[in-house]
Amino acid sequence: MNGEHNRVSIRDLMKVFGRALLLQASWSFDRMQTAGFAYALSPVLKKLYPDPQQYEARLRVHLEYFNTQPYFASFLIGAAVKLEQDRAEGRESEADPAGLKASLMAPLGALGDSFFWGSLKPMSAVAAAALLVTGSWWAPFLFLFLYNTWHVGLRLGMLLWGYAGGGNAVELMSRYPFTRMARRFKIISLALLGGIVGSMPMWRQEFKITTPLPDVAVAGAGLTVIVAAVAVMRKGGSPVKLMLGLAALCLALAYVGVVL
Amino acid sequence: MPALNGHMILSILGVAVLCGIIGLDRTAAGQFMVSQPIVAAPFTGWLLGDVTAGAVVGVTLELLWVLDLPVGSFVPADATVCSISATAIAALAAPGGADSSVIGFSLLLTVPMVPVTMRADSMVRSANSYLVDAVLNASGVEMETLLSRAQKRGLLRFFIKSVALCCVFIPLGLAAVLVFRHLPGFVPAAMSSFVKLAPLIGVASIARKLSILTVDRMVIAGFAVAICLSLLVHAQAPVVLLFAAVAGWIGAVYRERRT
Repeated sequence: MNGEHNRVSIRDLMKVFGRALLLQASWSFDRMQTAGFAYALSPVLKKLYPDPQQYEARLRVHLEYFNTQPYFASFLIGAAVKLEQDRAEGRESEADPAGLKASLMAPLGALGDSFFWGSLKPMSAVAAAALLVTGSWWAPFLFLFLYNTWHVGLRLGMLLWGYAGGGNAVELMSRYPFTRMARRFKIISLALLGGIVGSMPMWRQEFKITTPLPDVAVAGAGLTVIVAAVAVMRKGGSPVKLMLGLAALCLALAYVGVVL
Repeated sequence: MPALNGHMILSILGVAVLCGIIGLDRTAAGQFMVSQPIVAAPFTGWLLGDVTAGAVVGVTLELLWVLDLPVGSFVPADATVCSISATAIAALAAPGGADSSVIGFSLLLTVPMVPVTMRADSMVRSANSYLVDAVLNASGVEMETLLSRAQKRGLLRFFIKSVALCCVFIPLGLAAVLVFRHLPGFVPAAMSSFVKLAPLIGVASIARKLSILTVDRMVIAGFAVAICLSLLVHAQAPVVLLFAAVAGWIGAVYRERRT
């Protein structure tokens, strides 16, 4: 059992947070985020277990296979810190960080992938692309602001939440309705996609299609192209194949004298 | 097309190092999304004096690749290397501002880059396995030292991968632009059309992945709002898009209540 002076401080947690940003620095196919997880925890483990043998044994526990969504990993890192602290203080001998990691990394990974990669990132990107295509030079800053307000806030918040709750994922889910927010972000993204096409008459010169047709007809034609492209993709066409197909179509049109 | 002189070589190396640093954000460090094409490409364009090329490349590649998700062991296309390389090719091939045909051709050059970037990324990730194995086989103080070294070497490998890819892609791309300039006139004209239509493919790609419907009502709603505001009220683009987003929000809440 270790003394009070070995308690984890906010400063220690911030150090862990800084190291958690390098969770995937040595990402590999077989071990994935294993080294990153152990690296993030190592300063706290060193503080909690001054005995080198104990420290090595605990570090080895955290070198077991680990992979989840990199931002949601903060929750498990925070929980592992808490469980290790309890264990070091002899308060809870049954504390099992390895079991917690094994049971939560898959569901948290699925949730995080869906929320961050599948909805927040596309929504931020679509909003920024919509603005950049119409000539707003500050669009990349909007993208970074929209994304990182959630990203940094939740990443830091989840580390502290995981530490405070010792890995109580049910409470985390009840506080943040990630699934509902993901669904809303996806719907907003779809509406913004429509907005991009509807604002075609306002696109900057580099993207603007030069044609004698009225603006409504140009936007309508754009929507038709998109519906056709989605239909083709549903039959197995990938974006890369469509890009090549589009290039071939443009070459054919230009050959016969049609240039947009 | 300027000659491959000392200044050009320095520019290529500078862009490659920049790509190496920004590329770390992609997987290895932080993931603050500065590595996304919509940020990385305009920034590169700005540094090279051609923001327009960066903006065009950034918008198009962002829309195309934003939903190429790094889930599990899947290694997505390295859109960072592709977007920075394509921007550099366009900007360096035409100092003072690339025309849309060169930008379009540079965009098309990212198609063969994609599988190469995926292969290189996979190689780095395979090689990283040995770093973790070394940590597991160590003991005592050495274990902590090797863990720290594994992280640093992992970062270095990801950095070198991006630098090396840029050092290959940009000169090859510049050579390709040299050939492109000697092609018949309809080819550059076709590339100008390609630039204008490519974002639509990106929009379709996202719509395809976000909805199970070929014609999603939310896309139509956003389209209708944008058309009405831009053509009838002549509202500014940010206002139009804000209202489209609000329409999406209302639609989301409406769908939730219905279900």
